[in-house]
Amino acid sequence: MIKDLVASLDYSLCAEIALGLFVATFVVIFYGALRLSSDASERFASIPLSDQVEDPRDE
Amino acid sequence: MATVTANGAQDSAPSHPDSTGKLEHFRYDDQIVRMFLMATIFWGLVATLVGVVVATLLVAPSLSMGFPEINFARLRPLHTNAAIFAFVGNGIFAAVYYSTQRLCKTRMWSDMLSGLHFWGWQLIIVLAAITLPLGITQSREYAELEWPIDVLIAIVWLFIFGGNFFMTLLKRRERHMYVALWFYIATIVTVAVLHVFNNLAVPAGWLKSYSIYAGVQDAFMQWWYGHNAVAFFLTTPFLGLMYYFLPKAAERPIFSYRLSIIHFWSLVFIYIWAGPHHLHFTALPEWASTLGMLFSIMLWMPSWGGMLNGLLTLRGAWHKVAVDPILKFYVVGITFYGMATFEGPLLSVKAINAFSHYSDWTIAHVHAGALGWNGFMLFGMIYWLAPRIFQTKIWSPRLVGTHFWLGTIAILLYIIPIYAAGFVQGMTWLSLDDTGNLSNPEFIKTVESVIPLWWLRVLGGLLYFSGVVMLAVNVMMTWIGRPDKYEDPVFSAPALLPISDEDEVPAKSDLDDVPVLELGKKLDLFGKMGWHRRWERLPVRFTVLTTLAVVIATLFELIPTFLIRSNVPTIASVKPYTPLELVGRDIYVSEGCYNCHSQMIRPFVAETKRYGEYSKPGEFIYDHPFQWGSRRIGPDLAREGGLRSSFWHWTHFENPAFSTPSSVMPSYEHLLTEDLNFKAIAPHVEVAAYLGAPYSEEELANVESLARRQAEEITADIVQQGGPASVHEKQAIALIAYLQRLGVDAMKTDTPAAAEETAPAAEAPAGEEAAADETPTEDASGNP
Repeated sequence: MIKDLVASLDYSLCAEIALGLFVATFVVIFYGALRLSSDASERFASIPLSDQVEDPRDE
Repeated sequence: MATVTANGAQDSAPSHPDSTGKLEHFRYDDQIVRMFLMATIFWGLVATLVGVVVATLLVAPSLSMGFPEINFARLRPLHTNAAIFAFVGNGIFAAVYYSTQRLCKTRMWSDMLSGLHFWGWQLIIVLAAITLPLGITQSREYAELEWPIDVLIAIVWLFIFGGNFFMTLLKRRERHMYVALWFYIATIVTVAVLHVFNNLAVPAGWLKSYSIYAGVQDAFMQWWYGHNAVAFFLTTPFLGLMYYFLPKAAERPIFSYRLSIIHFWSLVFIYIWAGPHHLHFTALPEWASTLGMLFSIMLWMPSWGGMLNGLLTLRGAWHKVAVDPILKFYVVGITFYGMATFEGPLLSVKAINAFSHYSDWTIAHVHAGALGWNGFMLFGMIYWLAPRIFQTKIWSPRLVGTHFWLGTIAILLYIIPIYAAGFVQGMTWLSLDDTGNLSNPEFIKTVESVIPLWWLRVLGGLLYFSGVVMLAVNVMMTWIGRPDKYEDPVFSAPALLPISDEDEVPAKSDLDDVPVLELGKKLDLFGKMGWHRRWERLPVRFTVLTTLAVVIATLFELIPTFLIRSNVPTIASVKPYTPLELVGRDIYVSEGCYNCHSQMIRPFVAETKRYGEYSKPGEFIYDHPFQWGSRRIGPDLAREGGLRSSFWHWTHFENPAFSTPSSVMPSYEHLLTEDLNFKAIAPHVEVAAYLGAPYSEEELANVESLARRQAEEITADIVQQGGPASVHEKQAIALIAYLQRLGVDAMKTDTPAAAEETAPAAEAPAGEEAAADETPTEDASGNP
């Protein structure tokens, strides 16, 4: 039954849906990442250099 | 965080005691890092040495001296497994155990699990080193190990390593999960998913199993796994390593945290789709192959995002690179990452893949990645870690510099000739003359032309191995110079309290007091990445989201590939292998013939002229596992059935030089002398039947007698052709039975019922039907 159901679908849509999913996710993350505050970005980037606890709540 | 030495003296004041409560004291477990570091070096020596041996055996096969255990085809998987899972694997674990403890400000959750992980992983490597030369293999690239070892891998990786890692994340004292940890999460989750689903198999004994997938679907699963093993074993953990150890070595923060977010999610989301580019122009459905190509091209962006983030981290520190060999290792390593990840999408473009596939171009590409990216990143890490975890100075900084230059020259000396060999192969295989015939009809000529280049590869490999010897000596001498007792500092950090609502950041938009639509305020809040920052504090949610990114992409490809019948049109004349052919196929698998011979004729003029009718998806429905191969050192065998006499094959196994004087194929004389265990065939046939091969009750009840009868017929043929008598019990006969069957069924026409009664298909001499009619039987849908 599942085979029949899937067989009746137009699977060529998979590529388009996949691309759409990726583009949507990418745009959201790209937009968000660009708007991340410089202060937070710099502090998170320095985490491996520091042996101090990095706590974002200090912002 | 405060540091307290072993004698109790506190180095600095504790930080944030008010925000997170009571101070806790802990020590890091560096002993497990030392163990994995030493294992990395040991297996690095083994992997590169076996690589040199394998490269030498390829050009001088007689050096195996008739021992099948040290033939090229059996040792090549040992080399790849040793390089990937032993050398790189242990290196990853050393990096993860060192950096995770420091990034989480906690000791690993369980020392016992850490120890079990180390010894369990070494046991797996030793089992691989024993079984692969013995020919115990699934013959699926980078997933060759048989099912009991696969079960052990799943337990050690997921439950022991994964369990310990995720519990450490949950028990951490650092609220924020740094980007390196994201890459480790993606690695652990995805490798587990890949390993489990690719290795689903039905056992036919303790040392033999049949993949539950067949033919096209098996090829799809294998390269979904194979490609993503490169992605999530050889790439993502190394990016995590880069994000932690490069800033440490350069004493600079990473160039862009924003870029790391973008390239992490893009990489995780895109990589998983790209596997089908390994199967261009094969019997894989066109849509899947195109999808693989598109996503491979898209993959170029996040890959270079990672590379640029790494290289630009050195902004302002290039003067250090000039004098610090550790940074030099990183710079060259990251540059090779950039090169390999530019070349990967290039090779996935169909027009280029048509030329490069099956050739040495692929070998050069993977070695640029393995030797340059993986090797050099690990060397950089080892040289940085060794003095710290052994608490002494590196024995010889000068030797580090020598290793760097030797290794760099070695890589170039290795890959440049192999790229050249790939171009020579691509051109000579495909070129046609003015009359439309093959310019180089004899395959052996294409092999002869690249042998000098293969010798240069041996030299390059030797140099690279020499560099690893230098590393081993340097680290060993550093270890000898360690203090009598390691200092074991006690660190202090406040416990991490559960996240409260006030901790959720940011809660306020800058536009709150501005007369704009609510939507604008929400967008502003969204853009502050508070949602992502929350994810970075929630390991379970982060892991679930990463898993979803990987699994959803997989399902989009997997479901149509498996469930839509038109992807694999059936061919009525394709029948299951006879018991003797099935066991002959097992011998083919065991001997590693797929390492040199493909069984997939692509729909190119040159290939169909050289080998015959191109391969169809429906031909492989009884192939558990598929045997399409990934390179051609010898000619394709997809239409081998009936092309040559059985005695020709017999003499070919005995000494390939009889028929092809300059052949690089080793002798398989042991197959001519070792007996076949006819009594052991039945379980194999039963599993084949269980997986869908339509054997009759009578066939299942008489497996041994059917196999013996066919063996006697082949022996009679051999005797008639001037060969030896009384050899029907030898393993070579079974292998000949399989080779004589290859590609025959698809060329058959339906035999009239009356004729079938007098000459049952199973008893007809293989190959005769092929000559009768070369028109494949088509299914009802008209697909060939």
